[in-house]
Amino acid sequence: MAKLRHLAIAAKDPDAMAEFYVKAFEFKIVRTSDGPLAYGHHLSDGTIDLAILRFKSDQIGKGMDYTGLHHFGILVENVDEAQKAVEALGGRHYLDTTVQGPGGFEVKMYGPEGVLFDVAEHPWTGAAALPSAVKAAAD
Amino acid sequence: MPKLRHIAIAAEDPEAMAEFYKRAFDFKEVGRPNGYLADGVFLSDGTLNMAILKFKTDQLGKGMEYRGLHHFGVLVEDVDAFTKKLDELGARHYIDQGQDGHQAGYFEKKFFGPEGVLFDIAEHGWAGAEPLPAPLKDAAE
Repeated sequence: MAKLRHLAIAAKDPDAMAEFYVKAFEFKIVRTSDGPLAYGHHLSDGTIDLAILRFKSDQIGKGMDYTGLHHFGILVENVDEAQKAVEALGGRHYLDTTVQGPGGFEVKMYGPEGVLFDVAEHPWTGAAALPSAVKAAAD
Repeated sequence: MPKLRHIAIAAEDPEAMAEFYKRAFDFKEVGRPNGYLADGVFLSDGTLNMAILKFKTDQLGKGMEYRGLHHFGVLVEDVDAFTKKLDELGARHYIDQGQDGHQAGYFEKKFFGPEGVLFDIAEHGWAGAEPLPAPLKDAAE
Protein backbone atom coordinates (compact mmCIF):
# COMPACT_ATOMS: atom_id res chain seq x y z
CA MET A 1 0.00 0.00 0.00
CA ALA A 2 1.16 3.55 -0.71
CA LYS A 3 2.09 5.59 2.35
CA LEU A 4 1.68 9.19 3.41
CA ARG A 5 5.24 10.21 4.15
CA HIS A 6 5.50 13.95 3.60
CA LEU A 7 3.65 17.02 4.82
CA ALA A 8 4.54 20.55 3.81
CA ILE A 9 3.58 23.76 5.61
CA ALA A 10 3.81 27.19 4.02
CA ALA A 11 5.50 29.58 6.46
CA LYS A 12 6.63 33.18 6.37
CA ASP A 13 9.43 32.36 8.83
CA PRO A 14 10.45 28.71 8.36
CA ASP A 15 13.38 29.09 10.78
CA ALA A 16 11.16 30.08 13.70
CA MET A 17 8.44 27.59 12.86
CA ALA A 18 10.90 24.71 12.56
CA GLU A 19 12.44 25.66 15.89
CA PHE A 20 8.98 25.49 17.47
CA TYR A 21 8.32 21.92 16.31
CA VAL A 22 11.82 20.80 17.24
CA LYS A 23 11.35 22.11 20.77
CA ALA A 24 7.74 21.03 21.11
CA PHE A 25 7.92 17.49 19.76
CA GLU A 26 11.64 16.67 19.49
CA PHE A 27 11.36 16.39 15.72
CA LYS A 28 14.83 16.46 14.14
CA ILE A 29 15.95 18.85 11.42
CA VAL A 30 17.27 16.51 8.76
CA ARG A 31 17.83 18.95 5.91
CA THR A 32 17.71 22.62 5.06
CA SER A 33 17.05 23.41 1.42
CA ASP A 34 16.90 26.47 -0.79
CA GLY A 35 15.70 25.41 -4.22
CA PRO A 36 13.76 27.00 -7.06
CA LEU A 37 10.43 26.21 -5.42
CA ALA A 38 11.03 26.99 -1.76
CA TYR A 39 13.38 27.67 1.14
CA GLY A 40 13.04 25.87 4.43
CA HIS A 41 13.68 22.98 6.74
CA HIS A 42 12.77 19.31 6.66
CA LEU A 43 11.94 17.82 10.03
CA SER A 44 11.46 14.15 10.80
CA ASP A 45 9.54 12.26 13.46
CA GLY A 46 11.26 9.09 12.27
CA THR A 47 8.47 8.24 9.85
CA ILE A 48 7.23 11.41 8.16
CA ASP A 49 9.11 14.26 6.52
CA LEU A 50 7.59 17.53 7.77
CA ALA A 51 8.74 20.31 5.43
CA ILE A 52 8.39 23.86 6.68
CA LEU A 53 8.85 26.04 3.66
CA ARG A 54 8.69 29.57 2.35
CA PHE A 55 7.41 29.01 -1.16
CA LYS A 56 8.66 31.07 -4.08
CA SER A 57 5.57 30.66 -6.24
CA ASP A 58 1.85 30.29 -5.66
CA GLN A 59 1.43 26.56 -6.26
CA ILE A 60 -2.00 26.22 -4.69
CA GLY A 61 -3.69 29.38 -5.95
CA LYS A 62 -4.19 30.83 -2.48
CA GLY A 63 -1.80 33.73 -2.96
CA MET A 64 1.78 34.30 -1.89
CA ASP A 65 0.63 35.43 1.56
CA TYR A 66 -0.93 32.06 2.32
CA THR A 67 0.46 30.35 5.40
CA GLY A 68 -0.69 26.97 6.67
CA LEU A 69 -0.72 23.39 5.52
CA HIS A 70 0.22 23.30 1.86
CA HIS A 71 0.53 19.80 0.40
CA PHE A 72 1.30 16.23 1.31
CA GLY A 73 3.35 13.49 -0.30
CA ILE A 74 2.63 9.84 -0.95
CA LEU A 75 5.37 7.28 -1.29
CA VAL A 76 4.50 4.75 -3.98
CA GLU A 77 6.16 1.75 -5.52
CA ASN A 78 5.93 3.07 -9.06
CA VAL A 79 5.51 6.76 -9.89
CA ASP A 80 4.45 6.18 -13.52
CA GLU A 81 1.69 3.81 -12.50
CA ALA A 82 0.56 6.11 -9.69
CA GLN A 83 0.44 9.08 -12.06
CA LYS A 84 -1.62 7.09 -14.56
CA ALA A 85 -4.01 5.97 -11.82
CA VAL A 86 -4.43 9.52 -10.54
CA GLU A 87 -5.03 10.91 -14.03
CA ALA A 88 -7.54 8.16 -14.82
CA LEU A 89 -9.44 9.27 -11.73
CA GLY A 90 -9.47 12.90 -12.86
CA GLY A 91 -6.35 14.15 -11.06
CA ARG A 92 -4.27 16.74 -12.89
CA HIS A 93 -0.50 16.69 -13.34
CA TYR A 94 1.16 19.92 -12.18
CA LEU A 95 4.90 19.47 -12.50
CA ASP A 96 7.79 17.08 -12.15
CA THR A 97 10.50 18.22 -9.85
CA THR A 98 13.88 17.01 -8.76
CA VAL A 99 14.40 17.39 -5.06
CA GLN A 100 17.74 17.60 -3.29
CA GLY A 101 18.89 14.63 -1.29
CA PRO A 102 17.87 11.01 -1.59
CA GLY A 103 14.25 11.91 -2.38
CA GLY A 104 15.30 12.42 -5.98
CA PHE A 105 12.25 12.89 -8.11
CA GLU A 106 8.64 13.61 -7.42
CA VAL A 107 5.52 14.33 -9.44
CA LYS A 108 3.16 17.02 -8.19
CA MET A 109 -0.51 16.51 -8.90
CA TYR A 110 -3.83 18.12 -8.08
CA GLY A 111 -6.55 15.85 -6.74
CA PRO A 112 -10.22 16.66 -6.17
CA GLU A 113 -11.00 20.24 -5.12
CA GLY A 114 -7.50 21.35 -6.14
CA VAL A 115 -5.68 19.63 -3.29
CA LEU A 116 -1.99 19.41 -4.19
CA PHE A 117 0.03 16.31 -3.45
CA ASP A 118 3.31 14.72 -4.52
CA VAL A 119 3.98 11.14 -5.44
CA ALA A 120 7.51 9.75 -5.21
CA GLU A 121 9.23 6.37 -5.26
CA HIS A 122 12.09 7.35 -2.97
CA PRO A 123 11.39 8.42 0.60
CA TRP A 124 11.71 12.09 1.37
CA THR A 125 14.61 12.89 3.69
CA GLY A 126 13.83 11.54 7.13
CA ALA A 127 10.82 9.55 5.94
CA ALA A 128 10.52 5.79 6.40
CA ALA A 129 10.69 3.53 3.36
CA LEU A 130 7.70 1.55 2.17
CA PRO A 131 7.29 -1.65 4.18
CA SER A 132 7.77 -3.65 0.96
CA ALA A 133 11.17 -1.99 0.40
CA VAL A 134 12.23 -2.72 3.98
CA LYS A 135 11.24 -6.36 3.56
CA ALA A 136 13.11 -6.63 0.25
CA ALA A 137 16.25 -5.13 1.82
CA ALA A 138 16.05 -7.63 4.68
CA ASP A 139 15.63 -10.64 2.39
CA MET B 1 9.27 10.72 20.29
CA PRO B 2 5.81 12.02 19.37
CA LYS B 3 4.55 11.00 15.97
CA LEU B 4 2.60 12.69 13.21
CA ARG B 5 -0.41 10.43 12.86
CA HIS B 6 -3.25 12.52 11.45
CA ILE B 7 -3.86 14.97 8.64
CA ALA B 8 -7.18 16.62 7.92
CA ILE B 9 -8.38 18.05 4.63
CA ALA B 10 -11.26 20.50 4.31
CA ALA B 11 -13.51 19.30 1.49
CA GLU B 12 -16.77 20.37 -0.06
CA ASP B 13 -17.57 16.75 -0.93
CA PRO B 14 -15.73 14.41 1.47
CA GLU B 15 -17.38 11.34 0.01
CA ALA B 16 -16.06 11.98 -3.51
CA MET B 17 -12.62 13.02 -2.27
CA ALA B 18 -12.30 9.93 -0.09
CA GLU B 19 -13.30 7.73 -3.00
CA PHE B 20 -10.49 9.27 -5.04
CA TYR B 21 -7.80 8.45 -2.46
CA LYS B 22 -9.18 4.98 -1.85
CA ARG B 23 -9.04 4.17 -5.56
CA ALA B 24 -5.79 5.98 -6.34
CA PHE B 25 -3.68 4.76 -3.39
CA ASP B 26 -5.63 1.89 -1.87
CA PHE B 27 -6.19 3.77 1.38
CA LYS B 28 -8.82 2.07 3.52
CA GLU B 29 -11.92 3.67 4.93
CA VAL B 30 -11.88 3.31 8.72
CA GLY B 31 -14.65 5.59 9.91
CA ARG B 32 -17.36 8.15 9.27
CA PRO B 33 -16.99 10.93 11.82
CA ASN B 34 -20.09 12.98 12.41
CA GLY B 35 -19.60 15.59 15.09
CA TYR B 36 -20.33 19.17 15.90
CA LEU B 37 -17.09 20.29 14.25
CA ALA B 38 -17.22 18.30 11.01
CA ASP B 39 -18.62 15.35 9.06
CA GLY B 40 -16.66 13.22 6.68
CA VAL B 41 -14.61 10.12 6.08
CA PHE B 42 -11.57 8.71 7.87
CA LEU B 43 -9.03 6.92 5.69
CA SER B 44 -5.90 5.06 6.74
CA ASP B 45 -2.68 4.10 4.99
CA GLY B 46 -1.91 1.77 7.91
CA THR B 47 0.15 4.42 9.69
CA LEU B 48 -1.70 7.73 9.49
CA ASN B 49 -5.31 8.74 9.76
CA MET B 50 -6.31 10.95 6.84
CA ALA B 51 -9.53 12.77 7.68
CA ILE B 52 -11.49 14.24 4.78
CA LEU B 53 -13.96 16.57 6.36
CA LYS B 54 -16.65 19.10 5.72
CA PHE B 55 -16.13 21.53 8.56
CA LYS B 56 -19.05 23.23 10.27
CA THR B 57 -17.13 26.19 11.65
CA ASP B 58 -14.27 28.35 10.42
CA GLN B 59 -11.52 27.02 12.67
CA LEU B 60 -8.68 28.51 10.65
CA GLY B 61 -10.05 31.98 10.07
CA LYS B 62 -9.74 31.42 6.32
CA GLY B 63 -13.48 31.40 5.70
CA MET B 64 -16.04 28.63 5.31
CA GLU B 65 -15.17 28.32 1.64
CA TYR B 66 -11.60 27.25 2.43
CA ARG B 67 -10.67 23.95 0.77
CA GLY B 68 -7.39 22.13 1.18
CA LEU B 69 -5.15 20.83 3.91
CA HIS B 70 -6.53 21.97 7.23
CA HIS B 71 -4.61 20.66 10.23
CA PHE B 72 -2.46 17.80 11.43
CA GLY B 73 -2.31 15.70 14.58
CA VAL B 74 0.56 14.56 16.74
CA LEU B 75 0.28 11.47 18.92
CA VAL B 76 1.98 12.06 22.27
CA GLU B 77 2.48 10.00 25.42
CA ASP B 78 1.08 12.57 27.82
CA VAL B 79 -1.32 15.29 26.69
CA ASP B 80 -1.02 17.26 29.94
CA ALA B 81 2.77 17.38 29.80
CA PHE B 82 2.69 18.48 26.17
CA THR B 83 0.00 21.06 26.89
CA LYS B 84 2.33 22.67 29.41
CA LYS B 85 5.22 22.58 26.99
CA LEU B 86 3.17 24.06 24.17
CA ASP B 87 1.90 26.85 26.43
CA GLU B 88 5.48 27.68 27.36
CA LEU B 89 6.45 27.81 23.70
CA GLY B 90 3.68 30.30 22.97
CA ALA B 91 1.16 28.01 21.29
CA ARG B 92 -2.45 29.05 21.81
CA HIS B 93 -4.91 26.48 23.11
CA TYR B 94 -8.03 26.44 20.95
CA ILE B 95 -10.43 23.71 22.09
CA ASP B 96 -10.63 20.24 23.54
CA GLN B 97 -12.63 17.66 21.72
CA GLY B 98 -14.01 14.25 22.61
CA GLN B 99 -14.68 12.34 25.79
CA ASP B 100 -18.47 12.47 25.62
CA GLY B 101 -21.20 11.02 23.46
CA HIS B 102 -20.13 9.27 20.30
CA GLN B 103 -16.52 10.24 20.98
CA ALA B 104 -16.33 8.51 24.36
CA GLY B 105 -12.81 7.40 25.13
CA TYR B 106 -11.34 9.73 22.55
CA PHE B 107 -9.78 13.06 23.41
CA GLU B 108 -7.68 15.62 21.65
CA LYS B 109 -6.57 19.17 22.27
CA LYS B 110 -6.31 21.66 19.46
CA PHE B 111 -3.64 24.35 19.40
CA PHE B 112 -2.54 27.13 17.14
CA GLY B 113 1.23 27.11 16.62
CA PRO B 114 3.36 29.75 14.91
CA GLU B 115 1.64 31.64 12.08
CA GLY B 116 -1.73 30.27 13.14
CA VAL B 117 -1.10 26.70 12.03
CA LEU B 118 -3.66 24.44 13.70
CA PHE B 119 -2.70 21.05 15.11
CA ASP B 120 -4.08 18.48 17.54
CA ILE B 121 -2.36 16.47 20.19
CA ALA B 122 -3.81 13.21 21.47
CA GLU B 123 -2.77 10.22 23.54
CA HIS B 124 -5.15 7.81 21.87
CA GLY B 125 -4.58 7.42 18.19
CA TRP B 126 -6.98 8.55 15.56
CA ALA B 127 -8.88 5.76 13.80
CA GLY B 128 -6.54 3.72 11.63
CA ALA B 129 -3.40 5.38 12.98
CA GLU B 130 -0.51 3.32 14.24
CA PRO B 131 0.17 3.59 18.00
CA LEU B 132 3.37 5.10 19.32
CA PRO B 133 6.25 2.64 19.15
CA ALA B 134 6.75 0.85 22.45
CA PRO B 135 9.76 2.17 24.36
CA LEU B 136 12.79 0.00 23.63
CA LYS B 137 12.85 -1.25 27.21
CA ASP B 138 9.24 -2.48 27.02
CA ALA B 139 9.81 -3.99 23.59
CA ALA B 140 12.80 -5.92 24.88
CA GLU B 141 10.89 -7.41 27.78
